[in-house]
Amino acid sequence: MNIIVLLKQVPDTETQIKIAPDGKSIVTDDIKWIMNPYDEFGVEEALRIKEKFGGEVTVVGLGPKRVTESIRTALAMGADKGILITDDALEGSDSLAVAKAITAAVKDLDYDLIFTGQRGIDDDMGVVGASVAELLGIPNISLGIKVEISEDQKTVTVNRPVEGQTLVIESSLPALITAQKGLNEPRYASLPGIMKAKRKPLEEKSLADLGLDASEFGTEARKVKILELTPPPERAAGKIIEGETPQEKAAELARLLHEEAKVL
Amino acid sequence: MAEKFVSERNLKFLLYEVFDVEGLTRYSYYQDHGREIFDMILDTALRMGKDLLHGTFQEMDRNPPQYVEGRVKVHPLVRTLMRECGEGGWIGANAPYELGGQQLPIMISAASRFIFFAANYSASVYPLLTSGAAHLIESFGTEEMKALYIPKMFSGQWQGTMALTEPQAGSSLSDITTKAVPTQEGYYKIRGQKIFISAGDHDGADNIIHLMLAKIEGAPHGVKGISLFVVPRLRPEPDGTLVPNDVQVAGIYHKLGYRGAPITQLSLGENDDCRGYLVGEPHKGLSYMFQMMNEARIDVGMGAAAIASAAYYAALEYARERPQGRRLRSKDPSLPQVPIIEHPDVKRMLLFQRAVVDGSLALLLQCAKYADLEKVQEGEEKERHGLLLDLLTPVAKTYPSEMGLLSVSQGLQCLGGYGYCDEFPLEQHYRDARIHPIHEGTTGIQGLDLLGRKVVIKGGKAFKLYLEEVRGAVARAEATRGLDAGAGLLEGALQRLEEVTAHLLELAPGDPELFLADATLYLELFGVVTVAWQWLLQALRASEALEADPSGGDRDFYEGKLRTYQYFFSYELPKIEGLCRRLLQSDGLTVNLEDRHFTD
Repeated sequence: MNIIVLLKQVPDTETQIKIAPDGKSIVTDDIKWIMNPYDEFGVEEALRIKEKFGGEVTVVGLGPKRVTESIRTALAMGADKGILITDDALEGSDSLAVAKAITAAVKDLDYDLIFTGQRGIDDDMGVVGASVAELLGIPNISLGIKVEISEDQKTVTVNRPVEGQTLVIESSLPALITAQKGLNEPRYASLPGIMKAKRKPLEEKSLADLGLDASEFGTEARKVKILELTPPPERAAGKIIEGETPQEKAAELARLLHEEAKVL
Repeated sequence: MAEKFVSERNLKFLLYEVFDVEGLTRYSYYQDHGREIFDMILDTALRMGKDLLHGTFQEMDRNPPQYVEGRVKVHPLVRTLMRECGEGGWIGANAPYELGGQQLPIMISAASRFIFFAANYSASVYPLLTSGAAHLIESFGTEEMKALYIPKMFSGQWQGTMALTEPQAGSSLSDITTKAVPTQEGYYKIRGQKIFISAGDHDGADNIIHLMLAKIEGAPHGVKGISLFVVPRLRPEPDGTLVPNDVQVAGIYHKLGYRGAPITQLSLGENDDCRGYLVGEPHKGLSYMFQMMNEARIDVGMGAAAIASAAYYAALEYARERPQGRRLRSKDPSLPQVPIIEHPDVKRMLLFQRAVVDGSLALLLQCAKYADLEKVQEGEEKERHGLLLDLLTPVAKTYPSEMGLLSVSQGLQCLGGYGYCDEFPLEQHYRDARIHPIHEGTTGIQGLDLLGRKVVIKGGKAFKLYLEEVRGAVARAEATRGLDAGAGLLEGALQRLEEVTAHLLELAPGDPELFLADATLYLELFGVVTVAWQWLLQALRASEALEADPSGGDRDFYEGKLRTYQYFFSYELPKIEGLCRRLLQSDGLTVNLEDRHFTD
């Protein structure tokens, strides 16, 4: 069973995000970069399936050279090989362009399953997984919280949460599954795993290597343009309800909820 | 609870920029390592600290181990952590490949321990003790012993301990009475009592392996009659089954802090069926045990610095958020209150904490570097770094332990009344930190070790090498703009230290009691001078980095380093003057004082 995992590198959730002077991007100095947590669920699931059925796990990342660190982390967890799609012309690409580049990198690989996170925790678009499945012409199953491969390794059954219920989907293989929180608890990289990761193959591919035209990528080629980034509104100060008795306070609270908050 | 408990930036600054851990990869033992691997290891340690350990920091304190029907029940995290640390390769990380280790530099494992300790000290000691005990078997055990115990200990299935203390023999190990009687079968029958044995029994591991000191029947008196034994709770039979080895848990102690880890009382050989297996040669046990003890002393310093780090970041977070009062320069009472970090006295308290935390961590990583170099070098260089490590071990144990406690206290002070309450973690840090001046040799014992033994070993060679090392930093600082004043202050302090040392050594032949009466103060003096040296090393690197005109967070970091260096040299270093004056007096006040003078 050969499995591909697509991963993105995103700012650590604890990083204080600052908007850059251009108003359309963020300041990337002093950011700590991590593997997108949803992609990490994908890596873990791929490793578990590999441990059960054998085969290889290939991790594919896209972005600047620093993305190598996240690919190496996946290799340290137990993945077998890595591919980094890196090209200056990719800077500023939108989700669809990213999906096209990834598709070009994986289409000729031998795979039965592709995992990726249900979305990146940075841009929260949730587009790449479905787009890659569409471009590859394979089924896309989103928000997987349980994945089971049939004993004959021909089909996959995926549980997906819907409105408090669970939808159970069966699909032929190959298929693309996007991972949701709850799928598994990703393992920590082990020290022997970290030592081995250094010696595992990690290939770099440029757009030219993938036979792609650089003019279709980057900020200029975006179909979705970012006009402006604004920080979330600052939380307003709380209010202490004044009053002599509980009854008075309750009446005042009801008045404020009605007149100011307009929720009653 | 505060999220941040260590500074990753500072750890990397010390490892890569000040102490050049990458330089170790020049030696063949470490040649497979490199920056990328170190970064991944630190990153994993930070994640484990955050996700696995930090979340149960308070819970383990509130639900301490229970003694139930002769066994000790601990928090379920202990089993998980032992497994993660075993499967992850953390317990055997420093060991050679052929024993299943990763030949990891001691500097990197020390940095990882700092992270684990800061996240949750109590939880971290279980794998740590196992590491130390396994290393002792690795160094002095037979091949059979290694094969039998090390894999199970490295995998986290079996817990290791160090079993030294007895009811009547704590600091004075020469007075232990646990007996070992030789048998025809080659093993010894052990009988006696041990107390204060950390992780001496618990249900988070499948077996407990005690590295225990005992006296073989008829052995000479004193420390030369002590031997080292492996005493398992369940002894492995040749067919692989485990049978009870007559090690009874008589009880556990209820402690002020560090409550997530039990300290136990053990009773050995009540049914005359406790077998011990001799490690190395008879009567040499204490010198073997000192390998583990010296490592453990550095780890105690690390634990103390780590707890102080967690307390500092909790205090810092609070100081930035808590509005209280107005700047003294502001005359307008209608202005909103300012966060307390704007008050100079609060800044002073925070600076003190940072000076202690980063200064201690630097000293501990310096020691780890000496340990690495001693391990991989040969000849004179090996001896040099071994001697420096020997000399600095009592300092690296004590400065963080004693000053860390004051540092946590200042952290607690930043929170005022809230600091004293258990909604905030400071009160727990304060309780947890209090063990460090006590265990693995009290501060008093460390003072005796430094002045009575280390300063004079090899005709004072270690001390001479130390002066050379510090003067190397002084010389570099003299040639660095902005640091020449600090260089002068440290040189002055070194001269005072030399003067005091020479004065005390003159007393030694006449009256050992007078010579060592204030050894603890001497250790305190030595600690301040040594940490000043570590601050000068950090300042040298920060100045160099600022020459390159860094931006953003990097500039703030290096400037913060220089400010803290200035704080140390302006507020802490001058304190040695009082110590020097006292140490030069040698009037024997405490030597001649009698019991009756204390009564009323």
